[in-house]
Amino acid sequence: MRILLDTERCQGHGRCYSLAPDLFDSDDLGHCVLLVDEVPAGAEADARSGVDNCPEQALSIAE
Amino acid sequence: MDAGTGAAPDLSPTTVTQLASSDDPRELQRTLREQPVHRVGDLFNLVTRREDVEEALRDRTGTFSWSAVGMNLGNIRPLIPLQIDPPQHVKYRRILDPLFAPKKMALLEDEVIALVKELVDTFAVSGSCDFHEEFAVPLPCRVFLRLMGLPLDDLDLFLSVKDDIIRPPGVTLDEQAPYRERAGKTVYEYFERHLAERKDHPTDDMLAQIIAGEVDGERLSDEEVMDICYLFIIAGLDTVTDSLDCIFAYLAQNPDHRRQLVADESIIPSAVEELLRWESPVPAVPRVATEDIEISGCPIKAGEQVMLVLGSANTDDAAHAGADEVDLRRNPNPHLAFGGGVHRCLGSHLARVELRVAIREFHRRIPEYELAPGTVLEYTTGLRSLHHLPLAFPAGA
Ligand code: HEM
Ligand code: SF4
Repeated sequence: MRILLDTERCQGHGRCYSLAPDLFDSDDLGHCVLLVDEVPAGAEADARSGVDNCPEQALSIAE
Repeated sequence: MDAGTGAAPDLSPTTVTQLASSDDPRELQRTLREQPVHRVGDLFNLVTRREDVEEALRDRTGTFSWSAVGMNLGNIRPLIPLQIDPPQHVKYRRILDPLFAPKKMALLEDEVIALVKELVDTFAVSGSCDFHEEFAVPLPCRVFLRLMGLPLDDLDLFLSVKDDIIRPPGVTLDEQAPYRERAGKTVYEYFERHLAERKDHPTDDMLAQIIAGEVDGERLSDEEVMDICYLFIIAGLDTVTDSLDCIFAYLAQNPDHRRQLVADESIIPSAVEELLRWESPVPAVPRVATEDIEISGCPIKAGEQVMLVLGSANTDDAAHAGADEVDLRRNPNPHLAFGGGVHRCLGSHLARVELRVAIREFHRRIPEYELAPGTVLEYTTGLRSLHHLPLAFPAGA
């Protein structure tokens, strides 16, 4: 499972990295930075939580 | 979901004010969502459904403008960054976003804890308080003055100009205009004075960082700095007061939910998101269409104003199942209480720190409370807060 980030859509709501700090981080502007290329086994639910809480639909999952 | 039926049905402006002032705006929101767009006389078009509100906020096609919204807030120049359209808008957010980033705001937590405890101390023993007057109003203003490095003695001044801009005396816009104008003048003079002082005595607070901010090697002008500060007073004080009022009124009347978060503090962050979604203290945000468009089949002409109803988007159960109930653990919860798109609330991470700390510390000291006997809650129009929120709890807390 991979996470895809559309940086043009991200507006820095910060939902992803506050909910799943092992997978998402923030840059200086508070915008999302992906921490992993491949979602580690066991972190799938966290990945989905980060993705589904984004109000901008900036994140998506590629299986 | 049915497609729009062409012309939008008419709605009276008084119905619209109830989006903020109703005891339970969810009922009204539900009725409004039966149509995607309502025309409110010649004033504006109300956009009610999640999908349409989200798309307009995101505005991928650059159709909507804030700068064209005719709203008198006592200012003589556009407020920055709210009343600035892309592409200039991003220049200001590049300077401001780092100052309000979550990691920066997390550093404020200890100071906010101290301020919250100080306020709770003033009434905890007595067994009652007007939560609005004694907590929800002073807290955000004190946090703001600290953050900006401004004298705490200026609290009353800030509160009175904020009120004269957001809720001036009088009913008609004409009656209210002089109050807004006078308050505006006070704000400009105040910051002019403080900017001049900073030049002689540099500091390291947020105001200093805004003054020092650069984009492409260029500093902001004094006027730009003032136009930012002006917006902070309007956007950063009342909104947190409104949210505190809404959240604590909810918890006072819903003891099961209150006990749930008292029993397990780890749900406070998700409870904050959920109660912001449920209450939507900023019920709607305006935009002006810059070209002829259609929203769910309803025609909107260039130059017409739309109100994007965040509240009804947030409770739209056609978009998100179960959105008509409160679930303090809701996940996912991609709500729009802080707006969305390029104008996404700059202060959202500060607001979250204030709300989380306030809820945690207040309930540690006063876990059990209710509305004082005989209380009839009266919500305000515009932004959703309360005129008073009298709470009763065991004395000696
Ligand atoms: C819970 C409290 C708050 C709520 C519900 C809230 C809500 C909002 C909303 C809905 C918007 C979008 C307006 C639009 O799209 O037209 C906004 C923008 C803004 N907010 Fe907040 N806000 C809150 C607290 C704060 C605080 C504490 C600050 C601190 C300075 C702040 C500063 C701003 C600014 C500067 C903007 C304009 C951003 C831009 O145009 O780029 N807000 N807020
Ligand atoms: S939740 Fe969405 S908008 Fe917010 S930081 Fe994460 S990706 Fe960006």
